[in-house]
Amino acid sequence: MPLVGTRDVTPLGPLSPLLPSFETPHWELRGATVLQVMYELEEEGMLSLLPPALHPTIPPTVLFNVTSVPDSPAGPFTLAEVRVGCRSAARPRAFLVRGYTDSAGASTELRTHWGYPVGEAAVVLRKGYDRVHAIVEVDGRTILDVALMNPEPISGGDVQYLANMNLARVDRNGSELLRLVQVDPDFVFHRADRGTPRLLAFEADAWGIDGAVPYFPISASVTTCDITMPQIRYLVDPAKPPLQAIETVGRS
Amino acid sequence: MKFGIFYEISVPRPWERETEYEVYQNCLEQVRLADELGFDQVWAVEHHFLEEYSHCSAPEIFLTACAMQTKNIRIGRGIVVCVPQFNNPIKAAEVAATMDLVSGGRLEFGTGRSATWTELGGMGADPDETKKTWDEWVRIIPKMWTQERFGYQGRAFSMPTRAVLPKPYQKPHPPMWVAVTSPGTELDAADRGMGSLGLTFGGFSEQDKKIAEYRRRIKYCDPVGSFVNEQVNTVNFLFCHEDDEYGTKTGLRLSGTFNYLAEQLLAARQAYPSRSYPNLGLLPALRREATAPAVGQIPEGLAIGNPDRIIECIRKWEAVGVDRINFLLNAVETVPQEQVLASLRLFAKEVMPKFQKQPAGASAAGGA
Repeated sequence: MPLVGTRDVTPLGPLSPLLPSFETPHWELRGATVLQVMYELEEEGMLSLLPPALHPTIPPTVLFNVTSVPDSPAGPFTLAEVRVGCRSAARPRAFLVRGYTDSAGASTELRTHWGYPVGEAAVVLRKGYDRVHAIVEVDGRTILDVALMNPEPISGGDVQYLANMNLARVDRNGSELLRLVQVDPDFVFHRADRGTPRLLAFEADAWGIDGAVPYFPISASVTTCDITMPQIRYLVDPAKPPLQAIETVGRS
Repeated sequence: MKFGIFYEISVPRPWERETEYEVYQNCLEQVRLADELGFDQVWAVEHHFLEEYSHCSAPEIFLTACAMQTKNIRIGRGIVVCVPQFNNPIKAAEVAATMDLVSGGRLEFGTGRSATWTELGGMGADPDETKKTWDEWVRIIPKMWTQERFGYQGRAFSMPTRAVLPKPYQKPHPPMWVAVTSPGTELDAADRGMGSLGLTFGGFSEQDKKIAEYRRRIKYCDPVGSFVNEQVNTVNFLFCHEDDEYGTKTGLRLSGTFNYLAEQLLAARQAYPSRSYPNLGLLPALRREATAPAVGQIPEGLAIGNPDRIIECIRKWEAVGVDRINFLLNAVETVPQEQVLASLRLFAKEVMPKFQKQPAGASAAGGA
């Protein structure tokens, strides 16, 4: 049967956000810009990047996503994520260990309600006619510099975004447990472009995925879209085998 | 209704020295038995790099071995990837003609374009181009077979005039098929006068609509070959057992395992946004429809269980207009070989006689 990850994510627990409940506010994020760049990863780190609950994609992949939101209940923000492509049992997903936003308010909301393991950083998304360029800096250090070159229009229907598996702590029956929180927003696309992916700087350890070596460009897209943040419906126990790991979130 | 068997050749980990050898030998043993039992056709895919799911990257070799070990069963190249980074149209025509000659005119020629980034990226193919190169190849390959000399100047392929040799044994040429995974490809098949080689499962109602439209459209086709191959070929799982409960349980394990492996593939559209691979074109997603029913239910249309259940199932497929069914017999050796063989024997004894048997290829206007 398919390979599974070998990573013990327990040491990441203290840094992971805590969801006090599974109640989520209704967030509609209109007019967002989403840059997504996808690379293949060198296979040496394929299993060590993922917990046992997740299968790696074949070939292993990493997704760089930078989302600029002009307005939200927490104000405007830009979110940067570096996610490892995977399968949760049979479903395509992307595993997020650490991300960054440029807004303390948005960071708190994303951590508290959807389990995004994000911290603050200088996150910039610049949209030009010849390129769309994103840079993330922490303490003056560039930890991500990624771009889409030569954008050409495509259909929004051709773009697919994978649901997140956010590493977070949750309350399950009175116990605080480390779980992967499935976050699968709805997207309504207004515009989409595809271009050539370019990765100019990437520090894997700053994203909690030491050993991830992107080496082969796959694709780059940028969209303008409305995003509706979802309710939390599924959790995954990162330590269990994929078919035994999925938990449903009950609601009263 | 004609029956065949269909191979992805999935190989379980760990891949030790004997693992692939044993799987291939098991497949060949199944093909020999299927031929003896009166199955009409054996198909084998062309896939590359699809770990566990399919270790069948050289189907022309496997199928030639099948032909050499059998007498009657037709051999289905299912499919030739019509993308220049995978194959070359001249070589594809030559290999197919040779297979047809050495098999004594038993070749069925399937065409397609690959659907995973794992393969397209691995081969360095442009996903935007695959539909276009497929369309060009399916028009020129039959001409290479039927014209003494052939020359061509096209969009993605050109060649000066040469004799492409050998020529197929079947005249004017073997029946041509299109692998149908993306919605709408069955109409591409119809418009070109090609057989629809369904590689997804789908339910009866979904297939009913598709087949009806295929039949309607093919009447107005511009055939790429020398004859119209109006046939609908579909894929199913097979596990036939006297004990219905055991048969369905084992069959569900087979289909579930296969589906789980299929879902692990990195589909082209998941990696590379392209109109060439539309949203609903995911092969795993379509397979899921038929293999992930509500808990405790048997998916609609699967040929698993006892002979009575399978007969009823096939009658429904027959009623919606399917001409041929190809059965997947195993997935990563989930079912022990002796049970696979017993399932084939029981199917041949109890199920096949219930359906009128015609020589394979008879409904094609040619290809004999």
